Amino acid sequence: MPYLEIHELTVSYEKNQPTLKRFSLDVDQGELVSLLGPSGCGKTTTLRSVAGFIQPDAGRVVVDGRDYTALPPNQRDIGLVFQSYALFPHLTVFHNVAFGLRMRRVPKKAIHSRVAKALKMVGLEAFADRRPAQLSGGQQQRVALARATVIEPQVLLLDEPLSNLDAGLRVEMRQEIRRLQQQLGITTLYVTHDQVEAMSISDRVVVMNQGEIEQIGRPEKIFATPETAFVADFMGFDNRFQAAVLSTQGSKLTVKWGGAPVEMRWRSKFGSPQSGALAEVFFRADDASLAAGKEAVGLAGQVILHTFHGNEVQYLVSTEFGEFSVLQDSDSERFEAGATVTVLPHTHKWIAILDETERRA
Amino acid sequence: MVSRWMYVSLVILYGFLLGPFVIIFMASFGENATMAFPPQGFTLDWFANVFETSQFIDSFWISLQLALLSTLVSLIMGMPVAYALTRYQFAAAGIVETVFSAPILVPGLVIGFAMLNFFVLLGDMSVFTGLFIGHTAILFPYSVRVISASLRNLDPFVEDAAVSLGANRLRGFLLVVLPNMQAGIAAAFVLGFITSFNNVPVSLFLSGPGVTTLPVSMLSYLEYYFDPTIAALSTLLVIFTVVLVQAAERLLGLSQFV
Repeated sequence: MPYLEIHELTVSYEKNQPTLKRFSLDVDQGELVSLLGPSGCGKTTTLRSVAGFIQPDAGRVVVDGRDYTALPPNQRDIGLVFQSYALFPHLTVFHNVAFGLRMRRVPKKAIHSRVAKALKMVGLEAFADRRPAQLSGGQQQRVALARATVIEPQVLLLDEPLSNLDAGLRVEMRQEIRRLQQQLGITTLYVTHDQVEAMSISDRVVVMNQGEIEQIGRPEKIFATPETAFVADFMGFDNRFQAAVLSTQGSKLTVKWGGAPVEMRWRSKFGSPQSGALAEVFFRADDASLAAGKEAVGLAGQVILHTFHGNEVQYLVSTEFGEFSVLQDSDSERFEAGATVTVLPHTHKWIAILDETERRA
Repeated sequence: MVSRWMYVSLVILYGFLLGPFVIIFMASFGENATMAFPPQGFTLDWFANVFETSQFIDSFWISLQLALLSTLVSLIMGMPVAYALTRYQFAAAGIVETVFSAPILVPGLVIGFAMLNFFVLLGDMSVFTGLFIGHTAILFPYSVRVISASLRNLDPFVEDAAVSLGANRLRGFLLVVLPNMQAGIAAAFVLGFITSFNNVPVSLFLSGPGVTTLPVSMLSYLEYYFDPTIAALSTLLVIFTVVLVQAAERLLGLSQFV
């Protein structure tokens, strides 16, 4: 039985425009699941519904067999970490962390030892007497983490906890959050709009779009095999083009790519695609390579732009299928703007998606 | 770099700002029976006279009570308004804010005159009640603004944080929001108190027989006498106000809200 069960949750701020549409998700005990999506996709709404700050129109939230749906937020056993940290500015670090324990009427002695332990876990034992304003952003976020976990909640919710930090600190903090979460074995929902963050921290990722789930899966799976065009786009498949399906054989289909057909994986909501159906083909910039001149296989095009990135050079190539971005090692052959090149596919990483109503060429 | 002209204009500016006070201050020690500058001789008699004139003593107490009471009530009324304006988004927010700012924008004389007419229409009302209502009305927008400023500096999510940690809404407000409003409330109190204590136009209309505020009784005293008593009283009031504001600034950092 799942530890946290979100069952067909529907939330609308305005009538007939649900922000969340029959959202269901099961989270196992000790699991960290990310809700990933662009702003307005309903991920924060989901989180705030689980926390109890939003009363859903329909659906249920169940934690460890106990129905949370009608429970006010202060009676739910949930730890919440905010994007803005939301520390209490007038209280010291110690009293910030102790707040939840005091609300639970934990005896004073126990409060002292538990707060000390929590602060030690986030490496802030020396800062107990500071005020939040005297701490850096990263330290404040650690205090917020300690405050949310010291009450040993059944579920930990994190709402974009790293987006106010600068890039280097973000990587450090997300490792810290993951370490803490695994150490405590705490069931966690993690909201983010950053796919790299979601990939690196999660047991499973839920990609959301317009209040609905696009795909749920392990990070590796979602990264390699998006089920929908939206997920492919969000997961950094920067190149896409439409192509007519030539033929389908089991899990592979072929489409035309320059001189020769190419074979690749496919995903469809409508069963095996017929030949002639229109597919969206997706590939990442580093899943193709360039060769000089025109070749028999591959798609010919012209270099429009090249940008040096250090280890790699990014080329923008104009072809009859549109413009594609291709990353090449910077020590491989260089091409100038205007040069004729052939785009060679790494087809085992390409994917054809048929997720809109089936169209025919 | 500070040029010579900037320096000169600064001196002129300060001359105009502080000059009148210097003259009043010096005149209050003069021996002549009419105010004169430069003053002749030195005496503290006029200060003594301030405390012997019952008109001043009575109106001082009225002004003090009035300022304390109307400031307090305007704060109590202003707090929920400020809270609503900063924490909730609602359609009429703009209108509400404009209406509540009106007493700042409308000339005091107009407010005083309008209130006088209004209270006469209402019928029997003690003079003090009229003054109290009038002052509360003009202080209210200051309370709302200053408290709003202190609330805007506070992350709205701290309340949710308190609630998620087990506090109910009321405890969350009392334990987390209120302590962080303290400085704003104190600043609003000082500002309101001084505004009420120094107000002339509204008090002028709403004062009545035997019940008048200190500034109004100073005005009426001036109509009959031109001795340095008023200068002495003004000197005392300036000292009183400066001490109050400085104390508030030192203790609370008043200037960050006003």
